[in-house]
Amino acid sequence: MEYRLKIDDEVVPVTVETDGESGLTAFMGQEQQTVSYTVVSDHQIYLMVNGRGHNVYLNDEPDGKTVMINGQAYLVQDADDLERKPVRKKGAHNAPIEVTPLTPSVVVSVLVKEGDLVEMDQKVVVLSAMKMEVTLTAPFAGKVIGIKAAEGDKVAPGQILVDIEKETDAT
Amino acid sequence: MFKKILIANRGEIARRVLNTCRELGVQTVAVYSDVDSAAIHVLEADEAVCLGEAEPAESYLNIDKIIQAAKDTGAEAVHPGYGFLAENAIFAARCEAEGLVFIGPPAQVIRDLGDKITARQIMVKGGVPVIPGMTQSETDPETIRHVADEIGYPVLIKASAGGGGKGIRIVRSADEIDEACVSASREAKAAFGDGTIYLEKFFDQAKHIEFQILADKHGNVIHVLERECSVQRRHQKIIEETPSPALDPVLRDEMGKAAVAAAKAAGYVNAGTVEFLLDNEKKFYFLEVNTRLQVEHPVTEMITGIDLVHQQLEIAAGRPLSIGQKEVIGRGHAIECRIYAEDPQQDFFPSPGKIVFMKEPAGPGIRNDCGVYSGFEVPMDYDPILSKLVVHAENRDTALRRMLKSLQDYVLLGIKTPIPFLISVLRSEPFRNGAVFTDFIETHFPDWKPETPDRDIARIAFIVDEMLGTRKGKTGSQMKATVVTPFQTLGHWRL
Repeated sequence: MEYRLKIDDEVVPVTVETDGESGLTAFMGQEQQTVSYTVVSDHQIYLMVNGRGHNVYLNDEPDGKTVMINGQAYLVQDADDLERKPVRKKGAHNAPIEVTPLTPSVVVSVLVKEGDLVEMDQKVVVLSAMKMEVTLTAPFAGKVIGIKAAEGDKVAPGQILVDIEKETDAT
Repeated sequence: MFKKILIANRGEIARRVLNTCRELGVQTVAVYSDVDSAAIHVLEADEAVCLGEAEPAESYLNIDKIIQAAKDTGAEAVHPGYGFLAENAIFAARCEAEGLVFIGPPAQVIRDLGDKITARQIMVKGGVPVIPGMTQSETDPETIRHVADEIGYPVLIKASAGGGGKGIRIVRSADEIDEACVSASREAKAAFGDGTIYLEKFFDQAKHIEFQILADKHGNVIHVLERECSVQRRHQKIIEETPSPALDPVLRDEMGKAAVAAAKAAGYVNAGTVEFLLDNEKKFYFLEVNTRLQVEHPVTEMITGIDLVHQQLEIAAGRPLSIGQKEVIGRGHAIECRIYAEDPQQDFFPSPGKIVFMKEPAGPGIRNDCGVYSGFEVPMDYDPILSKLVVHAENRDTALRRMLKSLQDYVLLGIKTPIPFLISVLRSEPFRNGAVFTDFIETHFPDWKPETPDRDIARIAFIVDEMLGTRKGKTGSQMKATVVTPFQTLGHWRL
């Protein structure tokens, strides 16, 4: 089995060959690692790699897995999977192109209304999460065509709060 | 001793107060909001009263509802914890008026010490060294400039009603001062409704040293040694330790005496903390008094063996202090790390959500005051503190190693925590040398990135987990089969 696994910006090809019930050999670059494993619970695996024991803790993410080892959290992604799935929408400068919260929050105030013309980076919604206030801004210039949240609403990442239609270049 | 106490707080501190009450055989009443119905402090109390909606004003800050809950359950006393109503003089006064014992200082003392200028005046009268500066608020720019010239730049313009870093301006030269006064005053007026300002000397490389004090209703006051809290981020403490590497026995004794003098000058009762600034010439100055039990109190408990909450209850019940100053002895070294639900790689942005899996560190000299558990949904409405991890060991080096090991053993999945950041800080050369000042993080960790030494292991773990399909079928978003078939284990194969 071949995998291409990405951590941060580094993609490393890994080939594995199973070896009985609870063992395998992993080939990464020039190195060969002998691996055996014991499942401790739904989220914990005890790995023996080249004779050394490691407790790893795992959780599923929408686009990979979080692996915790010795207090550090690694987001490991399958580069092949990532290439096959539709890429999460990103605009210029890697900025999100939707007005949506980064974390579950409460709407403090909506600064625009339907029909308003907005400029890029104009403040549109103020949110509060864990006593911190955050202001979301318009990802591009355009017209507000829908307000999908009101003061006091609890909102989650993925929810569009303000719908903005991008203005077409008028020259 | 009281028969029943209501704890007007939540999370780890409510649980910690509950612990002592249970040991003493005191009945406990917890209060909670809608989102906290399964919170640990509710599960562990004898009785619980729902206050209503999550918003603090409707629940944990709602004085009427809390007083009513105390009356309905027959609680005799109220412990306010820290934050929320702990330093609210109106709440303390209401308790007194309603025949409830407020476990803390009298309302008037909270009021006096809550106003920075009044507090300074009390300390000057009490013979406690204060930071050179003004002891009354001033609006005349000429007077302010004159005082600044006298005490020497840099100076700090501070709002009298201030807190949380608002209404503060550092001024390094005479030509900046007028503008700084105007802007600080405007910010203070907007944030606190009070634009009065005053001026103090500013110290670039200073240490925050605080002394724990206990005062009973009979005039006895002792200090319970110090804590150093210099590792801060945006004026919020993240690591605290005791003893302070900066203090020798002589200086400790001097500062301890000053802390006791400060408490006496203010007529303090119950547990409190006197904060000092220590400059790089070993001179110390009064900063403020925190009229509550502090977040970092466990480090003091670890080195002295004293249960501060127990002392608070005894004092509130009218008993004289059972410990004399000579009996307060510190042994070994203790360190505390605050574990918040924050993402250190997104500028410490709050990270609420469900704790999918949790494993706490344990072992000799390890204490975790924890307010959450595996499966708990961390709400977004409150301060994101999850737990306080505290270690105690024979000396500072051993304590550091014990804390590092504990942080590495602490597993929290489903939310983000600053554990990787704390590990980097504790491993750093300046921290190991005790060269910690209030600008520690800005100086040494301005662009921090986590250390990731086990990437290979992480990749192998991913593959093994994928092959085993352990959690599949439970999330529903991936393959449903719980039996692993070759079609899954073959992975990516090419013709």
